[in-house]
Parts: sequence; structure tokens; C-alpha cells
Amino acid sequence: MMTATVVLENLLLIFLVLCAVMSVRFEEELISIIFLSTFSIVLTALYLLHRAADVALAEAVIGAGLSTAIFMSAISQIRHGDSD
Amino acid sequence: MHKYLKKTLVISVFILTAIALYENFLLVPEYTGLRTGVSDYIISSGLSDTGSLNLITAVLYDYRAFDSLGESTVIFGAVSGIVLILSRKMLPVSSRGLSFIVKRTFGLVTPFIALFSLYVITHGHLSPGGGFQGGVILAVISIIFSIVYGSAFDYRRYSPQVKTAMETMGAFTFLGLGVVGILMEGFFLKNLGFLTARTGTLISAGSIPYVNFGVGIKVGAGLAIIFYSMIQKTFKEDF
Repeated sequence: MMTATVVLENLLLIFLVLCAVMSVRFEEELISIIFLSTFSIVLTALYLLHRAADVALAEAVIGAGLSTAIFMSAISQIRHGDSD
Repeated sequence: MHKYLKKTLVISVFILTAIALYENFLLVPEYTGLRTGVSDYIISSGLSDTGSLNLITAVLYDYRAFDSLGESTVIFGAVSGIVLILSRKMLPVSSRGLSFIVKRTFGLVTPFIALFSLYVITHGHLSPGGGFQGGVILAVISIIFSIVYGSAFDYRRYSPQVKTAMETMGAFTFLGLGVVGILMEGFFLKNLGFLTARTGTLISAGSIPYVNFGVGIKVGAGLAIIFYSMIQKTFKEDF
């Protein structure tokens, strides 16, 4: 029981670091934003594992929902400016 | 001569600010461990003080309600700055939106998202969540409207004036409850003791549900205003 929780936590931490590195390494902005969103979801799972439900809800709503939408609108505006 | 005077003034202001910040940080109480100090007091007597089952909400809107007021002031400043910089022209510029199937499906799903956000706001003192999280879910509804139905739809239904009025109403709810706290209990933003009911019921924890409601409306309207002022010149007019 205890070891399963520890293994899950370590897997999530490895995936968290992987998502962060991927979001920095890619040149394409869209893929970076999607990796940031995945980062937020993995962080939500970690918060839930540590029983911080309030912070998990805030992270899921803001990190995965709102900031992705705002980044997307900013990216579309930048591309529009380039094509003009 | 004049240049050196300016430089010494700037450097002395920096040094004085550093000394003031250092003195300020010295005033912060030491970390006394998890089992003693303020956290122990809140864990042991937070429920009897506030009537709120969720201790995080009790800290946010009762013990540290003044900090929450500062946070919502920060959001208000961010909304004002972004609207001032980004929205030069308030004309709706729209895309056509997604296909018919997506529009119908989202029309069916929207009331449930709104119900969930209202649940998160009103049950802030009973279960995880609170005004801020539920308000962001409200803003997400507005954002998905702009993606699915085209960005002029939400603009025509709920104009920025309506959103500004909602944000102002939420802020006035928060501040008004603070003033009522002065009149009834003697301190600004103190929890109203005469509103407490049996623990665990929906309207029980003094003024915390009302403060949650105000913060939820304020945050939702403010974040929707931010998104719409960013998206305004994005799409070409198609119809």
C-alpha cells in the first residue's frame, strides 16, 4: 500500500520534470503550451496525492484551463502580426 | 556635479529600501514547527471560531481576510492595466466558430459547467474550493463560448459593461461585508457571529459564504474581461 503510493509519486515527479524540459526544448510554441498544460495536470495529481485538494483545484482550473487559453490567444495574435 | 548628486540619491534610496525590507523581514515570527504556534491554534479552534469545516477557507476569508482583499485588489489592477493597454477599439471582431455538432453539444453541457462553478463557490466552507476557483470556472465558460460560437457571441450577449458591473458588484460585496463587520462586531472584515448556524449546513459559517460569492463573481468577470480584451483584434470578420 505504502510502496504503491511512493512508486506513483516518483513516476509523477519524473513525468513532471520531463514535461518541464520538453516545454522548454521545443521550438514550436503550440507544443510548448500543450506541454505546460500537461505539466499543470501532473502537478494537480501530485497535489491530490499529498491531500491538498484546494491547491489541486486551483492548479487544475488556472494552470490547465485559463493560462492555456490566454497563451493560445497571445500566440494567435503574434502569428497574425507576422503574416500582415 | 548634478550627475553625481542624482547617482548618490538613487543609491541612497536603494540602500534605505534594502535596510527597511531587512528590518521588515526581521519582524516575521520564527518558524515554530507544525505542531505549535499559529497553525496549532487554527487547527484546534478554527472550527469553533468560524464555523467553517474547510480550514483553508477559514484562514482565507476569516483570519486572513485582509490578505484576500489585497489579492482581489491585485486582480483588479491587472484587469485595469490590460484593458487600458490592449483594447484600443471596442468593436467585436469575430470568427464563425466551430461546426453545428460542437455548438449543440456545448449548448447542452454549459448549464452543468455553470452549476459546478456555483457549487464550488457556495460550498467553499464545506468542501475544497472557494470563490477564486469557482470564479475561474465561470470565466472558463465565457472563454469556451468565444471558441465554439465565435468571439462576437459572448460580446453581444454579455457586453463588457455588464462584466464591469458584475466585477464592481463583487468588490462592493466584499467591502460592504467588511464595513458591516465594523458596525456589528467592531473590526474590519470580522466574521459576523450572528449569522452562524449549525455546522455543516449550507449557509452556516457567518459571512464566509457571502464573501465567497462576491469574490467568485469578481474573479470570473475580471478574468473574462482580460481574455476578451486580448482576443479582440485576433480574428477577421467573416459574416
